[in-house]
Parts: sequence; C-alpha cells; structure tokens
Amino acid sequence: MTDQPGDLACARARVLIEAYVDGDLARTDPDLAARMKVHLADCDDCRKQYQQAVSLPFRLKALRAPQPPPSLLTNVMHAVRPERGESRRAWALLIPEAALVAFIVWYLSGLDGLASVASGTVSDLQVLLNWGVGAAQPPSIPVADVFLLAALIALAITAAYHLAILSRLSAPTLREHRRA
Amino acid sequence: MSESVEPSRPTRWRWVIAIVALGVIGVLLAIADIALNAPWLGPVSDIVVGPPVTFGAVKERLPGSDRFERTKPVQTFTFVSPFKPRAPISPLQGLRALLSNGAALIFIALAVLVVFPNQARIAVQRLESSGGPIIAVVAGVVTALLVIAALLLLRFTLIFLVLVPVLAAVVLAIALFGIACVTLAIGRLMQTRLRFGSVHPLIAALAGALVVFDLVLIPYAGIVALAVVTFAGLGIVTLTRFGSASGWSFRDLNW
Repeated sequence: MTDQPGDLACARARVLIEAYVDGDLARTDPDLAARMKVHLADCDDCRKQYQQAVSLPFRLKALRAPQPPPSLLTNVMHAVRPERGESRRAWALLIPEAALVAFIVWYLSGLDGLASVASGTVSDLQVLLNWGVGAAQPPSIPVADVFLLAALIALAITAAYHLAILSRLSAPTLREHRRA
Repeated sequence: MSESVEPSRPTRWRWVIAIVALGVIGVLLAIADIALNAPWLGPVSDIVVGPPVTFGAVKERLPGSDRFERTKPVQTFTFVSPFKPRAPISPLQGLRALLSNGAALIFIALAVLVVFPNQARIAVQRLESSGGPIIAVVAGVVTALLVIAALLLLRFTLIFLVLVPVLAAVVLAIALFGIACVTLAIGRLMQTRLRFGSVHPLIAALAGALVVFDLVLIPYAGIVALAVVTFAGLGIVTLTRFGSASGWSFRDLNW
C-alpha cells in the first residue's frame, strides 16, 4: 500500500474508484484511468474494493425487468385524466359568479354606480396622498352595506376557487409533457 | 435563439409577404374604422385608431409663417366618405394607427418575449394544449371578476386604499404579458397551420401581433376581439402563475 503501484496512492485510488467504475474517469482523464488500472493490478486491497463496487451494477444489470400488464398505460392515463365532474364544475361556477355580479351591479345602481365608485376611488386617493403630506384632512371611509361586502367577498372566494379548478383542468397531459 | 430556426430563403419571403400584407390590412381596417365612424367601438375607436381628421382645421397660413403645416398633407389625402354616417376617409390617419398603436403593441410583445423567454414559453405551451384557449378565456373572465371584487373591497378601506393603483398596475402588466404570449401563440399557429416554415420566434410574434392588431381594428367586431385576446392573455398568465414552471403549487408551504 505504501509503495504506490501505478504511481498512485491508495487513498487517492479509493476516492477515484467510483468514477473509474462508472467510466467517467476514462472519459475525463484517460491518463489517470490508465494509472488506476495499473494500480488495481498491483494493489490487492484496492482491487478488492474495486470488485465490490463493480459487482453491484453488474448484479443490477443482470436483473430482468418484469413485463408490465397490458392495462398499465390505460390505467395510468385514466388516473391522471382530469375528472369529468371537475370540467362540469368549471362551467357551472359561472352561474353563481354571474348572479353575484348581477347583484353587485344592481346594488350599486348599475354601471353608472360602478363608474361613480371608480371616480370616487380616484378622488379619495388624491385626498389620501394630500393627507400623507399634511395638506388635507383624511378622506372619509365610504359607507358600505354589509350585503355588498358579503357579496364582494363571496365573489372573490368563488372566483379564486374557480381559478383553482381551471388551473387543474389546463395542466398539460402526459402526452403533451412528452411532446414538450 | 437556436440555429435550427434559421429560415430558408423561400420561407423567409413567405413571412415577409405575410407581415407586409398584415400591415396593409391593418391600415385598410383603420381607414374603414374612421370612414364608418365605428359606432360600435365608440370611444375605443378613438383610442385604437385615433381621431378622424376634421376638415378646415387649418384654413389659412398665418401671416409671416413660413413653417411647414403638418396637418396640410393629412387633409390633402382626406376624402369625403360616400357612406353614412359621413366620416372622412383618411389613409394617412390609418397609417398613423399602424405606426402608433400597432407599433406599440409589437414593441411591447417583443420586449416581453425578449425579457421573459422561459415564462413566455411555459404560458404559450399551456395555451397550445388541448382546450387551452377556451380555458384561458374563461380564466381571464374569472380573474377579471376576482380583481374587480378585490378592488371594490379595497375601496371600502382607508389604509389599503393605496393598494388600488398597485393592484391595477399589476393587472395591467399581467394583461400585457399575456397579450404578448397570445401573439407568439398566433405566430406559431401560422407557422404550423399555414406551413410558413420555421422562423425566429420574434418574427412569428411580430406576425402574431399584427394579426391581433388587425382583429382589433375590424369594425364593430373589433371590441370583441380585443376582449377575447385580453381575457385569454390575462387567463393564461394567471393559470401558469406568470409562466412559472411549478405553477400554483403549495408544496413549499408543506414542510
């Protein structure tokens, strides 16, 4: 071990054994691989380690792959396919959303009411900025009915849930993944 | 990007002809919009196409003024429409629509694709999957509803009122990114369906942007096309979480 056969120390050779077995060493550094070969021929301890390392891949290669059942692909595709019920739910959710939008628009006195809310927001923002620099009083919080707030929260939750369903529905299938 | 997209000579000419043709169609559609006064588009017509030229705005040269009157050539090439309601037919105003709003759309689309190529690829792949466009449009409508609800909720607070312009800006950025992805998807569709052959993705996106611009300029139906493209863009970016590879995954929170 101390005489360093092949001009390579045993400690160094043992570090390189894995790369030598995988063939990486021969690809990256053929000269070192040749020195490793000489070392293994002369050093009993290192050769023993090499044989242990090389035996596992050989054993794995010798294993036979079991034949998959013919229904495997169909079953997998069936399992990963989005449920039909989910697709129906994605369309059905448009109904409560439309109802909530109709209620909110009606509650705010139509599109004119929505436009006045938008313009009020802009003017309140200006007042808020002026208040920030100490040039004006803070804007008053607009009166909002609990029904309106509840409808807005319900719309936000329904829309978020709807988006989650649509996100699952639009996920690429196995075939599209493979094509990509 | 890669060497494989280098187009052959006949393919290149096919793309050049298509892009020029789409530009000419855009100008003609803008002229039609001005001439028809595009009543259905209403104020959108003025935003997308620009104001129709008014006759007699500059009647006489000011005394002592030797400067070039910029509105004069436009008026020279402006004709009275034979259709009712009578609005001027103005080819130069049509060209102006292409060189202003059309060019802006192209620049935004190309800039987005150059800056976010990976995100755009993921979004376009999702758009090209089976049922992708319909799901994207529905997701866009639902996202718009979610944003409106969130904006209205923020409006009824005092502290979070300052978030209203931030949220609006984020939604605008998402919509622009999505529209850029839609233009690339349309360009790729032209590449495969019309057998235009492979070309640099930015050229395909340019052609796609011109298609979007032309669709928006179709009198009466343009507003619908604009809405569909915007919703599809908004939806696809939302579904892919701004084109991220992991999408909407909460795996990181579950440690």
